[in-house]
Amino acid sequence: MALLSIRNVFKSYFLHGKRIDVLRGVSLDIERGELVSLVGASGAGKSTFLHVLGTLDAPAAGEVFFDGRAVFSMNDAEIAEFRNKTIGFVFQSHYLLPEFTALENVAMPALIQRQDRTGAYTYARELLERVGLGHRVDHRPGELSGGEAQRVALARSLVLKPALLLADEPTGNLDPATGEGIHQLLRDVNRDLGITAVVVTHNETLARSMPRRLRLAAGGVTEA
Amino acid sequence: MHPAERQTVHRWSFIWTGALVALVGFILLGMAISASEAWAEVSAGLGLSLVAWGGVLQVLNGALLAPAGTGGTAQLPTGLLLGGVLVWLAGWGLIASGIRRAPAPAEGLSPAAGASLYPRLARYRDFYWSTLGAYGGGMLLAELVLILLQTVLSSGVPSTDLSAPAQNAGGGLSLPPTLAFALALIAASAVAFVSGFIGASRAQRLSLPEATIGVLYLGLPIPIVLTLMERVPALQLALGYRLREVTYVAGLLGRPELAYWLVFTGLVLALVLGINTGFIAAGSGRVDLKLGFELFVARRHVMVFRPSLLLGTLAVLMFGIIPPLLIYFIIRSAEAAVERTRIRSLGLSDPLAAASDLNRLKLREQSPTMMMTALSVGGVGVGVMALIIVLSVMSGFEADLQQKILGTNAHAVVSRYAGELPDYPKVMESIRRVPGVVGQTPFIINQVMIASEGNVDGVIIKGIDPATVGSVTDLPEYLLGGNKLEILYTPEKILGHGLPGDDEAPAGGSGQEGVEEDDIIRRSGKASKPAVLPGIVIGRELAASLRVVVGDRLNVVSPLGTELGPSGPIPKSRAFRVAGIFYSGMYEYDSKFVYILLKEAQDFFDVEGASGIELKVADIDDARRIAGQVVKVLGGYPYRARDWGEMNKNLFSALRLEKLVMGIILSIIIVVAAGLIVATVIMLVLEKRKEISVLKALGVPDGGIVKIFLAEGLQIGVAGGLLGLFSGLSWCYFIEKVGIKLDPEVYYIPALPVRVEFVQTALAVVIAVLVTYLASIYPALKASSVEPVEGLKAE
Ligand SMILES: Nc1ncnc2c1ncn2[C@@H]1O[C@H](COP(=O)(O)OP(=O)(O)O)[C@@H](O)[C@H]1O
Ligand SMILES: [Mg+2]
Repeated sequence: MALLSIRNVFKSYFLHGKRIDVLRGVSLDIERGELVSLVGASGAGKSTFLHVLGTLDAPAAGEVFFDGRAVFSMNDAEIAEFRNKTIGFVFQSHYLLPEFTALENVAMPALIQRQDRTGAYTYARELLERVGLGHRVDHRPGELSGGEAQRVALARSLVLKPALLLADEPTGNLDPATGEGIHQLLRDVNRDLGITAVVVTHNETLARSMPRRLRLAAGGVTEA
Repeated sequence: MHPAERQTVHRWSFIWTGALVALVGFILLGMAISASEAWAEVSAGLGLSLVAWGGVLQVLNGALLAPAGTGGTAQLPTGLLLGGVLVWLAGWGLIASGIRRAPAPAEGLSPAAGASLYPRLARYRDFYWSTLGAYGGGMLLAELVLILLQTVLSSGVPSTDLSAPAQNAGGGLSLPPTLAFALALIAASAVAFVSGFIGASRAQRLSLPEATIGVLYLGLPIPIVLTLMERVPALQLALGYRLREVTYVAGLLGRPELAYWLVFTGLVLALVLGINTGFIAAGSGRVDLKLGFELFVARRHVMVFRPSLLLGTLAVLMFGIIPPLLIYFIIRSAEAAVERTRIRSLGLSDPLAAASDLNRLKLREQSPTMMMTALSVGGVGVGVMALIIVLSVMSGFEADLQQKILGTNAHAVVSRYAGELPDYPKVMESIRRVPGVVGQTPFIINQVMIASEGNVDGVIIKGIDPATVGSVTDLPEYLLGGNKLEILYTPEKILGHGLPGDDEAPAGGSGQEGVEEDDIIRRSGKASKPAVLPGIVIGRELAASLRVVVGDRLNVVSPLGTELGPSGPIPKSRAFRVAGIFYSGMYEYDSKFVYILLKEAQDFFDVEGASGIELKVADIDDARRIAGQVVKVLGGYPYRARDWGEMNKNLFSALRLEKLVMGIILSIIIVVAAGLIVATVIMLVLEKRKEISVLKALGVPDGGIVKIFLAEGLQIGVAGGLLGLFSGLSWCYFIEKVGIKLDPEVYYIPALPVRVEFVQTALAVVIAVLVTYLASIYPALKASSVEPVEGLKAE
């Protein structure tokens, strides 16, 4: 069974009383362990699609099955737990919480699970070392550069060893060299930890380096 | 899915005509009611119809009255009534037909037509009968629990009313009514809280429609009936006896209706708290009462417990706004000046180091939310402080008054419904066996005129037993100049002025008999010495107004009972000698009470035995119960016992009401502060939209977000409450130790009294915390409704 099955998903926005159909009956399967890139014009609906995959946004119609389970049939607590345990998000901006240090930010998903603090911090420290930020654990996000913050965000998405990693233009705000570093990390994560990943990107060369490539256009997803 | 938004079309001509017709119907009905002079009955029903119970009740009422009403005074204008109803209904029918649903616009189907609606929306329901049942039924149950528990817990107290013997057999515990009320209120609040909790956690939402309908239709009737009971004699007759414990407790406040509605409000609050807690704990589908993570986040968002904020707010509370602010600015500017000089001298050698230090200086500036937080903490603190100080001072006055009243008055008085107690020693013997009674003394009380050479006054005269009166009141201690009451037994030892003329000219003509008697004594040979007169003890104010001192002579005239004088019946009169003067500090007593020997009073008023027996009990708060016990021991009717609370009911209920009103008025400060908290938390929510989205994406359920922002509001409330508690207690301590002088012309005590009562002080803090909790609910819910995607839009 596919890890992720998307069945006939519709999503529209309403702007000034007019309907914009962003997703028009998207159906798709993603297997366990795949590394998938998603490209498309700006405004094509890539972020929308990723949000629906990650249960951050509800579709108007259609279903998303994770491991055979209909995610939108779950109640609030189950969905929250699902996001917490099985999905890691990385966005275009780092979205770290400004009041907390890098270490606390990375450990946050574990703290949400009410794991004990020392254990969570130990593993978070390990992850920060791995993304090359062992010397920045006590810095607040405001004191980190864009690339560093994005690496902290990546570490945060991995702290609970999620089954699925969703990355929305994680390198969009970074210079090419730093961006390549992040992509390398994503590939490592996929290979070493066996985490299934869907990466939205504008960078065609980066997209081409991924084993499976998808294109979103005119409300539908096609293999590219 | 197409958003099938249905429009309504209004046909205004129909609506206006309908309104006019309905108005005509209304007027016709009014005329019918006027014609049958039934406004009094109808208006009660109209009040109820505000909650839509009116119709039902009126039908029931009508059905019940119809058989009995045949002999009614006014004839029912049936035609007018029927016509009015028909016209009224027709008007509404017209209005209804004037509002039409517009036909759904025919438009093409959307591309998703036929696809399955996503499950959560497909399952959505917006009204649950079971939730309505839980909320409304919970309210009703809570009210019933309160009434029943109150009755069961305190009805065991043998009543001191006429009905006493009838009910002595009845069961029920015998707790003091106020304690019973406290227990019943706690139980009822728990019931309301639990029903709210269950309702909200089952429905997994707040369910405001269900809550409103439940409270209106199931919660309101009981308080409405209780309120009407105070007004409508028929209802009083029907229910008054069964609800006597409830009305008694409510009556302690002087205005029972106020008590009913306060309690009702309290129960609604408990329900709201329960609903909210239930939603937070289980609204997302799972009961989660843990708080560790939420507190962790909340503490970082609002740093209330920083020493600078706490000390600053405390300083403002203790010393006012201006002085701490001045000191703060002086310190800050001095600090900044020193810092800048240092950085400048540093910069002369190393410009970069200076730049980094300057940057750090800038970072220390405070955000507006921080200022708002401090203001909210201060606001709550001021409210709590004011509540504590004012209530403590009022308690001080009350305690002082109570002490003075109990000093001069007995805790309870045993008497018979009619007549005197000729066998009072036997009665006293029986009373001695009642546990809790620590002293008793017989007395005779009456109203008389008292006359000195200089003045006349109407006073209350009391015959006392000097041997036992000290065991009940503080009268012996109030005697001035080291005198003893026992001197009443030996009137010959009263220090007179020794001037024979002193005794010869009592004021006016009212003391004729005394004069005659003295003349007789004198004539019988003791003319040189002043006559031995029975002693009388009077108050200081009375002594001043009568212009008498110890040893002076007074005439007491009783308007009741006459004696046969030479020229027909004349009022009874006796001469007394002032044996002592007392000062209690209560003007009422010092100017209106005089004391003589019980035996003298028996002679004077032709009383056999005593009018009653005054009791002192070990615990004055238990006086009502012990009084009941005494009546029980004496075998009920015709004996009765009234406790001090009952005898001074109006005074103390007025004091309680005053305190309550004062508390409510001062709570407005807290409510205003709560407004500040709402604003602060809303600002926080707006400021943290992005963080809320991120937290949700990381897997915090809605309930967790609510908890975080509730905790933020609560932190403010708790900090403000504790600061207010601390400063309020400090002020009370100051008032007590240093004292604030009062104008002796106006007040009967020299300095402002304070009495810090634990319960009301704790209540002030609890109210503050509860109010901040309630205030944070709305912003916290707003925070939880932030959609995850909202804050995640790339900027
Ligand atoms: N909240 C919204 N309200 C209205 N329109 C929106 C909203 N979010 C996105 N859109 C529109 O939906 C389309 C797809 O947006 P998005 O998924 O962000 O595209 P992408 O990520 O591919 O650039 C865009 O045209 C955008 O303007
Ligand atoms: Mg996008």
